[in-house]
Amino acid sequence: MSYESKDVILQVENLSVVYDGKTIIKDINLVEKDTQRAGKIQGQTIAFVGRSGRGKSTLFRALTGMIEPATGKVLVPDISKYNGEAHTIALKEVHEGDVGFVDQKYTLFRHKTVYQALHYAMRHAKLSEKEKKEKIDQHLAEWGLEKVRNQYPNELSGGQRQRTAILEQLLGTGTMMVLDEPFSGLDVGNIQNVKQAFELVNASHELNTLIFSSHDIELTVELADSIYVVGYPALDNGQRTNYGTVLQHFDLKKMGLAWKDELNGDHLDLIKTIKKTMLDS
Amino acid sequence: MEIKKWFRPFEQLQMEQRLSILTIWIVGVGAYWFAVTSGEKRLFPPPVKVWEGLQALFNEGLVHHIASSLGLCLQATLISIVFSLVVAYLSPVPFLRPVAVALSRMRYLPLTGITFYLAIVVSNARAMQVWVLVIFMSLYFITSLLGVVKDIPQEEIDHARSLKCTRWEVLWEVVIKGRFDYVLDVLRQNLAIVWMMLVTVESILVGAGGLGVLIKNSDRFMNHGRIVALQLVILFVGLGIDLFINYVRKLLFRYSKI
Repeated sequence: MSYESKDVILQVENLSVVYDGKTIIKDINLVEKDTQRAGKIQGQTIAFVGRSGRGKSTLFRALTGMIEPATGKVLVPDISKYNGEAHTIALKEVHEGDVGFVDQKYTLFRHKTVYQALHYAMRHAKLSEKEKKEKIDQHLAEWGLEKVRNQYPNELSGGQRQRTAILEQLLGTGTMMVLDEPFSGLDVGNIQNVKQAFELVNASHELNTLIFSSHDIELTVELADSIYVVGYPALDNGQRTNYGTVLQHFDLKKMGLAWKDELNGDHLDLIKTIKKTMLDS
Repeated sequence: MEIKKWFRPFEQLQMEQRLSILTIWIVGVGAYWFAVTSGEKRLFPPPVKVWEGLQALFNEGLVHHIASSLGLCLQATLISIVFSLVVAYLSPVPFLRPVAVALSRMRYLPLTGITFYLAIVVSNARAMQVWVLVIFMSLYFITSLLGVVKDIPQEEIDHARSLKCTRWEVLWEVVIKGRFDYVLDVLRQNLAIVWMMLVTVESILVGAGGLGVLIKNSDRFMNHGRIVALQLVILFVGLGIDLFINYVRKLLFRYSKI
């Protein structure tokens, strides 16, 4: 499938995070570009995989600006300077609130209804009250949440809660959203719900970028167009360090494996390679 | 109906079976009460004496005394809950946290020592009653409210931060607004201790009346019927307050799952 890589939309430079003197992640460098496909709005889906305790969650907190890195920086699009034209994406250092964050429990404000939560998420948007209401109503209809607009999180089904949490971040933050293990513990129906939400996000804006982590490698290969394997790097003497870093990057677009309806033999080979890299790390 | 199941730990019973068990207990306790109080020698007054005690209490202005106790309870609760909420809500501020923790630890202080110092500072007996209650209620409230704040999952804080909330907005949305229903629950849990303490504190000022005064008077005359009637009145008023708060919580906080 033909595509073009345009402006840089995510740049991580020499990132390391230290907690109480212990290095959790180190030397993380990566660059992701805006992918454009003819006649289609195409967002980006980036995945991070790795064994437990390798620093994925810490990396995600750094990507969302929720923790100060010990070294390096994370650059994300400055939406206020984006005018819709290519090659006009300015990057800025990430701050709390620039990147959306959805945890595996799909946390919401427990005291806000779906409508109130979305309205609150849009409180800084430079829109009139009427425009905000229209935008929320339109999204509620598109995302199948119209009937539960006045319900609280404890009154929502799993799927409704997941969609609300993703939509809330979509309306409230920039174009980038980090999801920490969004498929963990979900049944087949709810996984389908989240996949549909991914499609909706990807198809709604060219710059929309979903970054997620998962232990389900098959699902990751099915959904992502770029996969990073995080693990402990090997030292020269063969031993492993105890901090996480990016060990391998698979660009599924370049490999001709992205945006396929079904997994083929090449996908299965990739899954094997990823699993081996993870096991070795 | 398998009676055997009633004696098996962790057995889940149908509603009608649970009701049967409850009825058996109520009838059993009632029958036991009648049986053990029917003889000449008895430790506990028979139901008829308790009923007479209740009537006597009613004629002596029981309703007025209940109102007085409830008034004192309400006054002290309002002051202490406001103070405790301020302390608990500011506990996430690192500089203020030691103050909140220290106040919580003060609950191990004995009542007598505190009342001694309060008696020096406060000259008015009614104010003394209120402040003794306020101090002790606050220490328990602060302890429970600190627990509520501590139990807020990090995910909720991160969720608010990801939506561009400043730290003070996080405090407002997640801790204050997001846990307001828990305040009523903390109130319910601690009110039992407070209600128990109230009766003791009321004996400080006999002239102000209250259920505590009635108990003191009944003790003096060794009127068992009255004492038990009064205990039952105090128990049922306390349970009534508990039910009322629970009802208000369910009515006001639809999002509450407790």
